[in-house]
This record gives sequence, C-alpha cells and structure tokens, in this order.
Amino acid sequence: MHKRIRNFSIIAHIDHGKSTLADRLLQITGALSEREMREQFLDKMDLEREKGITIKLQPVRLKYSSKDGQEYILNLIDTPGHVDFSYEVSRSLAACEGALLVVDASQGIEAQTLANVYMAMELNLEIIGVVNKIDLPGAEPELVKQEMEDVLGIDRDEIILISAKTGAGVEDVLEALARQIPAPDNKEDDPLQALIFDSYFDSYKGAISYIRLVSGRLQKGDIIRIMSTNKEFEVMEIGVLSPYMTEVQSLSAGEVGYMAAGIKNVNDTRVGDTITGAQRPAQKALPGYQEVKPMVYCGLYPLENNDFEKLREALDRLKLNDASLFYEPESSDALGFGFRCGFLGLLHLEIIKERLEREYDLGLLATAPSVVYKVILTDSSEMYVQNPTRWPEPQKIEQVMEPYVKATIMVPHDYVGAIMELCQEKRGNYLTMEYLSPQRVMLTYKLPLSEILYDFFDALKSRTRGYASLDYEISGYETADLIKLDIMLNGEIVDALSFIAHKDKAYYRARAIVTKLRKIIPRQMYEVAIQAAIGNRVIARESVKAMRKDVLAKCYGGDITRKKKLLEKQKEGKKKMKQIGQVEVPKDAFMTVLDIDKD
Amino acid sequence: MSGQSLLNNASSERKKLMRNYSTGIYIHIPFCIRKCNYCDFFSVPLPAKEYLQRYTNALVAEISQRAHEGAGKKIESVYFGGGTPSLLSTEQLETIIRALDDNFRLPADMEISMEANPASLNARKIQDFTNARINRLSLGVQSFSNDDLRVLTRIHSAEDVRVLIDILHSQGLENFNIDLIYGIPGQSMDRWIKSLQTAADSSPMHISMYLLQLDPGTPMAMDIKKGRMAMLDEERELEMYTLGREYLQGRGFDHYEISNFSFPGRECKHNLIYWQAGEYIGIGCGAVSFMDKSRFINKPDLKAYLYAIENRQERPVEEIEKMSHKGLIADAIILGLRLCSGINMEKFRSRYGIDISREYSEVIKSCSQKGLLKIENGQISLTRKGYFLSNEVLCQFIA
Repeated sequence: MHKRIRNFSIIAHIDHGKSTLADRLLQITGALSEREMREQFLDKMDLEREKGITIKLQPVRLKYSSKDGQEYILNLIDTPGHVDFSYEVSRSLAACEGALLVVDASQGIEAQTLANVYMAMELNLEIIGVVNKIDLPGAEPELVKQEMEDVLGIDRDEIILISAKTGAGVEDVLEALARQIPAPDNKEDDPLQALIFDSYFDSYKGAISYIRLVSGRLQKGDIIRIMSTNKEFEVMEIGVLSPYMTEVQSLSAGEVGYMAAGIKNVNDTRVGDTITGAQRPAQKALPGYQEVKPMVYCGLYPLENNDFEKLREALDRLKLNDASLFYEPESSDALGFGFRCGFLGLLHLEIIKERLEREYDLGLLATAPSVVYKVILTDSSEMYVQNPTRWPEPQKIEQVMEPYVKATIMVPHDYVGAIMELCQEKRGNYLTMEYLSPQRVMLTYKLPLSEILYDFFDALKSRTRGYASLDYEISGYETADLIKLDIMLNGEIVDALSFIAHKDKAYYRARAIVTKLRKIIPRQMYEVAIQAAIGNRVIARESVKAMRKDVLAKCYGGDITRKKKLLEKQKEGKKKMKQIGQVEVPKDAFMTVLDIDKD
Repeated sequence: MSGQSLLNNASSERKKLMRNYSTGIYIHIPFCIRKCNYCDFFSVPLPAKEYLQRYTNALVAEISQRAHEGAGKKIESVYFGGGTPSLLSTEQLETIIRALDDNFRLPADMEISMEANPASLNARKIQDFTNARINRLSLGVQSFSNDDLRVLTRIHSAEDVRVLIDILHSQGLENFNIDLIYGIPGQSMDRWIKSLQTAADSSPMHISMYLLQLDPGTPMAMDIKKGRMAMLDEERELEMYTLGREYLQGRGFDHYEISNFSFPGRECKHNLIYWQAGEYIGIGCGAVSFMDKSRFINKPDLKAYLYAIENRQERPVEEIEKMSHKGLIADAIILGLRLCSGINMEKFRSRYGIDISREYSEVIKSCSQKGLLKIENGQISLTRKGYFLSNEVLCQFIA
C-alpha cells in the first residue's frame, strides 16, 4: 500500500497560483463534488481568503487513478509562501518526499521561492517544476523555463506548463506526482515515529495534531507518548483529511493524517515534536525543527481591561500550532495590562492580531513593533531590549547594537538603480550583484532589520512596479547609533508610543509622527500638545486645537431618528478611543510610527 | 419641587404646553421650484402644477383616514413644512385646512405656521393665506447678502425679502420668523453681522440661526470634497455663533433653543412640541409621526405615496422606531437639553419615573466639570459653552 503513497508540498511565491492549483487538484481527483467546491478551498482562514494570500494550505489526501492503472494516494502538505514564515517551510518539507515548484509564467522565480527550493534540495526532495498562468497575456513560459534551468538546474524539458485557472496541464501534474515522487520508506514494522507538523485546538476534541508517520503504525486506542515531554495519552480518534476529516482505523508508516488524543494542554503537542508508542517506544525522536526566534515585538493590549485573561487564553490557543509566537505579560502606564508579543515579521503580527480579534472576539490595541536591540552598558554588562520602555538611561549606555539581515533581492535589471537607492536610504551595505539571466539580477545587501520591518517591502514593490522580490535571513548584530524617542501628550510621556530610532533619522521621524498624531487625534475639549523628545529635549511639537464645534444645528420632528443615529455613531466612536490622561487617543495611533514613511 | 421653579424663565405659553404635552400636526409639502445645493430635506422639483392638486387631494384623503389618531388629543399647532409649502394655491391651502378642521377640530386661536420661500409670496397671496388661517410664517431668508444667496443657490434675492417684509408689516402679519444661515463658504464676519442686523431691523418675532451643516449626499458637500469651495474653520463658526447670540439678545430676543431666538411668548409652538418630546401627527409624503411611543415615517417616495392613497391602500408607512421606555427617556433628554431652559428634573421624574441626576450622575459630573452642563434650581441645562458642543454631551445620554 505504502508504495503508492506520494507525500508532497507546493512551493510557490504568494500570488503564483498555489490555491487555485490546489482547487484544481481537488476537483480533478474528485475529492470534492461541484457543489462542495468553492474557491481557495484549502485556505483555512477567512483571513487568507479575504486577503487573497495563502499563508499555508490545510493538508489534504487525494486519490488519483493514474494512467498506469494504479490508484495513488497523494498527500499535500503545504509550505507557506511568505518570508515571515520561512521557518515553517522546513517543517512541511521534512514531512514530504517531493515538492511541486510553481512559478508564475509572467513573473519568473522570486527570491523567496529560491530559498525554499534550496531547502527542499537539501532535504533531498524530488522537485517537479511547474510553470503556471500560461493563459495570461504577459506569459513567457519559455523564458521562465530557461530561468528555472539556469538558476535551479531543473531540466527544462521536464517542466510542466499549466494554467491552474483553466485546468490546462493539471492532469500532467498529477501524473508526474504519481510517477516521479518516490514512495515513502517502508518502515511499518519499526517502532512508531510520527512527526507533528501542525496542530490546532478544537473545543470538543482538544488538540488535533496533523501527523506524518515515518515508521510504525498507529491505531485508535493506542497509548502514545510525546517524546519531548514523555507524557502519555490514549488515541481517541485518527483519520485523514479528504478534504474533510474522515475517521480511519489505523495509519501506518508513510501516511499522513490527524490524531486527537484528548490533549488539553497546548504545551503537550508542539509542532515539530515526535509521537511514539508507549509500549514499544522509538529510540530517539525525529530531527525536530529548529527553534525559531521572534524578530519583531509589539505590545498587545485588550481595549477592555477585563479581557486580559481572555487574551491570554487566546494566545495559548494560537501558540499551539505556531511555535514562533512568543508572549509574556507586561504592563504600560498608558494602556494597563497586556502582553509583549514576539512575531516572525509584520505579516505574522498582523495575522495574529486579526485572528485574535476575529476568532476570539477581542478588541485589541497594538503598539508599534520593535526589533530586539542589544545594549552594552557602561559596566560591561549586556542586555536585550525588545520594548522601548525598557531602554536604559542614556548615560548608562556604552554601545547599542541592532539586528542586521542579509537580504536577497531579485529584480529585472532595469530596476537595479532604484533598488540600490532604496537600500542606501535604508542604511544598507552593498554585498553582491549577480546576473541570473540577461534580464534578471540578484542583489544582496546587508540591512538593519528595523528598516526592513517598516515599509521596505512596500517601497520595493512600488519602485519596481511590483517586479522585485525579497528574501532575508538574520545575519547578526551590528553597532548602531540609536536613541530612544518619547512622545508626550500634554507633557506626559505615553510609554506605549516610545520608539527607537537611528540618530540621523530621529528628527525626521519625530516630525513625521507628531504631524501624523495631530491628524489622527481628534479635537478634544482642551488643546492637546503633542511633543517628541529625546531625553528632556523636545525635538518636534504640534498641537491639536481644542474642539470648538460639535452641534446639530437643527433637530425637528422629521430629523430626530436620523440625528439620533449621528449621536449614536459619535458615542460608538468614543468607544474606539483609549483615554490617556485627559486625552482620547484612537487605538490606531499606536501603530502610526509604522506608517509615517508611507505618506 | 414646585412647578414654579420649573417655569422661572418660561413664558406662560410654554407653561401651558408643558402641562399637556400637546399634539401637533405636521403637513409636508415636498415640492420646490428648485432644490438648493445644501438641502438634505425630502423634496423634489415640482414636476407640473397639476401635481400640487393631486397631492392636495391625497393629503385630504390621508387626513380623513387618520382622523382617529386625534381622538382625545388636544391639537395645539399645525405646521406646513417642506419643500416649499408656499407653492400651494390659496384654494389648495384652504382645502387642506378645512379637512384638518373637519377631522381634528382646530381651536380658533391656534398657531398655524407655514414655511415660505420669499420668492414664492406676494401681497395677494399673503392676504389670502392669512384669510385661510395661516397666522405665522417662517421665511427661508438665509442671508441678506446676495453673494451668500448665490453660494447657497437660493432662488430669491435680498431685495425680494425686503419687499416681502414690508408687505407682511403692512398687512399686520407680525408673527413671522426669519431663518438665517452662518458658516456659508466665503461668508465674512462682516456679511454675517449685516445679515443679523437687517434681520433684526425687519422686526420679526422670531429668528432661527443655523450653522450650515452638509449631509455628505448634497451637491455642496461634493463641491467641498472636490475643493471647489471650502467650509469656514471651526473657530470662525464659533465666533459667528457667539456673535449672533449676543447680538440678537442685545436686540431683545430670548435665546430659547440652541439655534432659535424669539421675543417672549413668540416661540414656535410647533417646534416646542418636538423639543418637549410631545406627540405629533405627520401627514404627507415623507412626513414623520410620533404617536403612542412609536415614530413612523410615510415613505419618502412620491409615487408610492400617491398610489397608495389614491387606491385606498394602506398608507405606505414604515415603522422607524417602536420606542422602549429607555429610548423614550433618552429622546426626551436629548431633545429637552436643546432648550436653553433645559429640563425640569422633578417634572421629568413624574413623567418618566426616573431621577436624571441620579441615573446619569457620571455623565452629569464629567460634563459639568468640562463646563458644558449645569444644574440650577432643579433644571438641568446646557451651559453657554455647551450649546455649541452639545453633541459631546447629548451622545452620552443615549442608551
């Protein structure tokens, strides 16, 4: 049986058509009826469907009858396509024997895709090249094939041309999966080793783990052991996703499925952990995933103070399948009790925040994101600062270091100048430039992570008409001339608005943020002074004039209902404000530090 | 608390109204010669003269259909609003008033008010309207500067108004109101003072002074959005408001509601009914009624309205709000606080069964601290500062 199992991932850049291809695979293999079909079926989150981006597809098991007359089981275990989530790629790939590399026929290979393909190659995965969107007017499939051969060494003659949208060529993809990807090793008789590659929390069944069995067998009623904690659980249910949860009697080596074992504590089923049998345990765990460290931190505070516990529970749940999410309680003078949260990047931050708000019905306020600075004090001790409020007194600071990344940017050669200019602005150091083809260039730069965080990606896209792609990895800490900027409202420092800036840019940023705050803080009963200061020195100021007018000039019989609606709206508006001292501040204000470069 | 302190500043007319929570009748005439660019009331350009007759007939039919709603109520005022009710012919007006009298029994000396566009009146018409029992006119003057009038796309000129006012005085119709607008794009302080002066010199009994506020759907709002004109800044608007208030008070007018001024005893009785949360029967297309704790609207769709009435179908009513007790209280407060004398808390308690000062102690405390609200002699009212920031206060009383 295991001989006809094919476990594969799809590696694709965001927008290169992964979800659509997955839809087509579901359709052709008959996993879903026409009636059940909806677009982006495997995008688990509404959020993904709305944003039109796929972070990661839900795993699915497909049955495919090949031209050789055999029926194959194809397990799709997806990899995320966004740089924020590159660590997740390794954990998906580790559960597969092969990967589909999907490249957009008009875009070519993107930096992020390249990094993921290299990872797949290191893991010895069989790679099937696919060029998608060949039906579009701008498609240049031959050029893209050539590029795939030149850059990745994939034989251009074996690359499949498809249009996931129209379905053209998709049969060939299925055929190639069946034919080219090796079957998993047959280790059914060895002790159980199953890799948890994803999990989520179900209110009835407890933690549901998505697993790939590497060796042994698993049955309902088995007692299993989580190898990192040595805790044991009884298997309540196992099954496959086809694409709905379908219970099965057993799973064996090579197979992919889900398991519920009444695990209530989220720490007991970490992604990357190995499950083994309590009766006949494996000698050692599967190679786990490398621990990922958050790169960006921000404070998340409930708008309603008594939602603090609810927020903690929600974070616990999300942490279950997101090992990279970090949080610890913190408090702010301005915002009360909340959590300092660590993320892989801004998209990750945004997604977690939105999920908390939607899935857990929390009103949240996020402070400006910060990287982790390394501060060496005058007494030679070191500290890591991920919250500007913890910044030491300037006189105690000997040296400040900030995280740098090595960024790889791929771009059509016409835009090289624009990219270089941008990297200069962002305090970047040029490393290398390489021609991938006569048209495409790969640039590498060393850049401060904090500069990449804010708006680098948007700037990159807008200056290259969307053609540039970016990948980066942390390269280490470097000395930098950084200072802490405080924002004051009516003379009082609002701790949650403080941020760290490069000295050369401090004035500009201070100016921009007070201007922005002036625009978004509504007029109040009193004039509000907005100041930005380094220590005691105010370097920028603005003021919001006192409110003069807030009146409905007329209100007669026919107007009452309508005017009352206006008043209700006004009252609702008040709720979206955070009262800081005497000043009502809109909750978005705390993220403004982020946006200031965009205007 | 005695009833006396409640009425400290109130006229005897108002006394009577407050005791009875009397009922008013509102008649909507939704036609205009041309719609002004800032107007968001329900009105349509008059399609053809015959329409007015057809509409009059429909009004008469609706009046008789709804006669029962007046049973046991004391009708205290009739108000013709619009649109431009002064477009009605004398005969049409007479017909409507006769129908009202037949069905609702209008007391002999009651106030019957009509809104009028200065361009739609002449000596003859005024004479006829007075004979038809109209005893109060509200003139949509808006400004005495032709520059302002052009910005507002009014169809009349300042001269039209002067002529009209002479006629009113010569015919002894002294009970009229002048509507003024301030905050008009391009309006200078000087122009505003001149408008106020000319208005006061015209010796009306009542002046309404409205801040120009634009509904986003109006053509003028689009002009503003597209940068073709600009609203005045808030500081200037406040200055105009303060100046207007002080000026009119200096000329002997009582400031009795956020935007309304009158000589003592000459408040608009109909509007007092609204602000005192009284009941009213709205007749005509788009008219709103507040009866038996519910607020209704006749659908603002002329065709649907005429069709329903002419074919004796049900009135095309949509219920807006069936008010809860809490909702009634909130309404009574946000309306009552518009009056400068405010709300008598003892009276309020006996009418609605709650003690405002206890129920809303926090809101009252914070608004008082900000100098927007005050409690004096058992009356809760906005302060002078509070008038122009009233929403800030009122929105907090909403449930």
